[in-house]
Amino acid sequence: MFSGRALLWIVAVAVLIALPPAVVALGQPFYIDLVRRIMILAIAAASLNLILGYGGLVSFGHAAYLAVGAYAVGILGFYGFTSGWLHLAVAVAASALVALAIGAVSIRTSGIYFIMITLAFSQMLFYLGISIEEFGGDDGMRIKTPSRFPLVDLADPVVFYYVALVLMLLSVFLVFRIVNSRFGMALRAAKSNEARTRAIGFSPYPYRLAAFVIAGAMCGLAGMLYANHTRYITPDLASWQQSGDLMFMVILGGMASTAGPVLGTFALLLVEELLKGWTQHWQVILGPLLVLSVIFFRRGLAGIFYKPDA
Amino acid sequence: MLEVRGLTKSFGALRACDGIDFDVVEGETHAVIGPNGAGKTTFISQLAGDLRPDSGSVRLDGADITALPAPKRARLGLARSFQITSVFPDFTALHNVALAVQARSGRTGFWRPARSDPALIDPARQILKDVGLENRINILAANLAHGEHRQLEVAMALATEPRLLLLDEPMAGMGIEESQRMIELLSRLKQTKTIILVEHDMDAVFRLADRISVLVYGRVIATDSPERIKLNEEVRRAYLGEEV
Amino acid sequence: MNFALLFEQLLNGLQFGVTLFLMAAGLTLVFGIMNFINLAHGSLYMVGAYLTLAAAKWTGSYLAGVALGLAGTLVVGMIVEVVALRALYNRDHLDQVLTTFGLILFFNELVAILWGRAALFASVPPFLSGHIELFTGSTYPLYRAVIIAVGLLVAVLLWYVVTRTRLGMLIRAGATNRTMVAALGVNIRLLYTLVFGFGAALAGLAGLMAGPIYNVQPGMGELILIQVLVVIVIGGIGSIRGALVGALIVGLVDTLGRSYLRPLLGTMISPTAGDSAGPALASMLIFLLMAVVLALRPAGLFPPRG
Repeated sequence: MFSGRALLWIVAVAVLIALPPAVVALGQPFYIDLVRRIMILAIAAASLNLILGYGGLVSFGHAAYLAVGAYAVGILGFYGFTSGWLHLAVAVAASALVALAIGAVSIRTSGIYFIMITLAFSQMLFYLGISIEEFGGDDGMRIKTPSRFPLVDLADPVVFYYVALVLMLLSVFLVFRIVNSRFGMALRAAKSNEARTRAIGFSPYPYRLAAFVIAGAMCGLAGMLYANHTRYITPDLASWQQSGDLMFMVILGGMASTAGPVLGTFALLLVEELLKGWTQHWQVILGPLLVLSVIFFRRGLAGIFYKPDA
Repeated sequence: MLEVRGLTKSFGALRACDGIDFDVVEGETHAVIGPNGAGKTTFISQLAGDLRPDSGSVRLDGADITALPAPKRARLGLARSFQITSVFPDFTALHNVALAVQARSGRTGFWRPARSDPALIDPARQILKDVGLENRINILAANLAHGEHRQLEVAMALATEPRLLLLDEPMAGMGIEESQRMIELLSRLKQTKTIILVEHDMDAVFRLADRISVLVYGRVIATDSPERIKLNEEVRRAYLGEEV
Repeated sequence: MNFALLFEQLLNGLQFGVTLFLMAAGLTLVFGIMNFINLAHGSLYMVGAYLTLAAAKWTGSYLAGVALGLAGTLVVGMIVEVVALRALYNRDHLDQVLTTFGLILFFNELVAILWGRAALFASVPPFLSGHIELFTGSTYPLYRAVIIAVGLLVAVLLWYVVTRTRLGMLIRAGATNRTMVAALGVNIRLLYTLVFGFGAALAGLAGLMAGPIYNVQPGMGELILIQVLVVIVIGGIGSIRGALVGALIVGLVDTLGRSYLRPLLGTMISPTAGDSAGPALASMLIFLLMAVVLALRPAGLFPPRG
């Protein structure tokens, strides 16, 4: 009755639901934090998959929205506003606005220009973050109190874990609906053959800009969650390294697939944890691993499980 | 219906189109022929909106569309097929045409799945049947045979419910049988549509065209009925060389 | 306004611009000819600085250090090209970006393993320290003046090679039509390796000259790489002329912005505005400049393909 793909999802979700009690019983509560962090970043990866995997927009500055969302929490908290709904609203709205501004300029370019421009704009936000002393400059700022929501206490690690799980699943589902809708089809058509898309009467720009803004807003949500998770944010959240990490999460998992971002984020971050356990110089191993994965492993992990959908 | 005046386009020192005057009457099939390199595809690209002319004007039903970008022209009812197959390779034939239907409808949506939307799928199915591809609708466009690609190109042009069809060598690279089928399809189409047909296949051109324009080195050297074009001295010289 | 100070800042802007040009020229050449976006270019800058420092310490001579450092960077560049990058010339830009990103991680960590994470001190060699007299009456560090001179010399050399030699002709031909050049029987692989090595050497030169002025530390390449990207976007990707013009503009705007924006805002609006907004705006200035240029000319100031 259930397709193979649906079955895999059910198993995966079941494992994730069962994880907290299991690791507590095993005396390793650290894994709750680790997996929660992975799930939060998977939301960011899912948002990037929308524009990169399905839209073909190689945005090398997506981490900017992670930072905007995180700093929304930080700055509001700095001024004494701790309402979770306010944090959420501002994080998402601010990210959407920044995405609109950056996208409006960047999407008019293409190819290598687009890559460099999105990178440059995110760096601009990075430098902005460093230079504002009140919010910590490059030392960053501590989040003293988490976002306050009625009924849900984000300070409780397990509750927060389940919140992150639900939001991750919702985000993945949202991207799934969007890319299969009429809007998503036009977006994917523009990636598949831009000349043909214009010839039948679609102008790619509005579709791409809308997708860019949606992706930015979703990433802002991830940023808001991330600030609550780490309780200490720095401008490094907007750095090109962070953007590169997000891109790898999307690529490794398999672009233009629903499960890709989740698989890729888990893969990348678990490998990182493993390597960090071996040596403090883990990046000298990760770097070449990433190079090899690009050269040899093009379809990503999701390609192992099923063929890409048309 | 379509009025072109003084269309000129140069690429560096090369004058691809040199002051072309051209018009299309509603309901006619107007063929454009000429030796290779005559500027036919450059001409079509400017009509479709992919290239901006250096000077000159293009008017559709009296309205000046010279500066209008391609998507807007498509929405006004100008559809085009490409000389070198340009479809969506990772979509099935059915979804290729469904996309064109969607573009025509002008309606979008963010939630409902488009691939099972009958408002898109049913018309697409019908059009594919009309062009003769009903057995291949679920094949990925990248896996279609060359002749089927050309049929798909025509199908996509039709799906946008055009008033004016710009067909750029629809029979390019086709074998005898496939060409015959395409000619039959185009004969049916010409009864209800206005068509500008760029073609090398003279059999097709003389069977389908109401009028023929001959393009040589970027200029129109003759526009006339097929019989008179056959007898035209300049045209024969252009095609057969000086010793006619 | 203190004219002597302004002139000094102009020279600083010129010096920074020339450093950016050395980086930008290599990057834009590689992109123009090989259609390859090499983000690891910053790593070559870093390698140049480190190798020169290490070689100078080992031989005891600054000039020997420079020679070995340059040669070493050239070799590292060519090895990277052959081993890692050859597989990617026909791939899309995304794959190239990701691969060079992996290389950046690798090189930064390798340098940290070999020489530690702390910033190293690179001193100006004795025969280049000291000051020169300016016509304004004040003095200017000799070392920075030498950097300007070297940079302009390289620009002239590059202009000569590209416009007057056979190699330059191949480069320009390759930039407009790769397949044609290959069809003419030119050994494309060798050409690519040479071009890449040359670009690496330029980056290494920029790095070793910058050593005594900025910090020599892991990650130093990426700081300047972002600014180099802004330069070639403004100048037009693939154009050396654009790289020069863009580099000088960015160098001047950034340097003058950092010196004058804060006091300017301080006097025009208020001292507190100057203090808070000044540094923030100064750091964003070149990106705002890039946005403005792109709004008017989406392909940069001198796009090579017209």
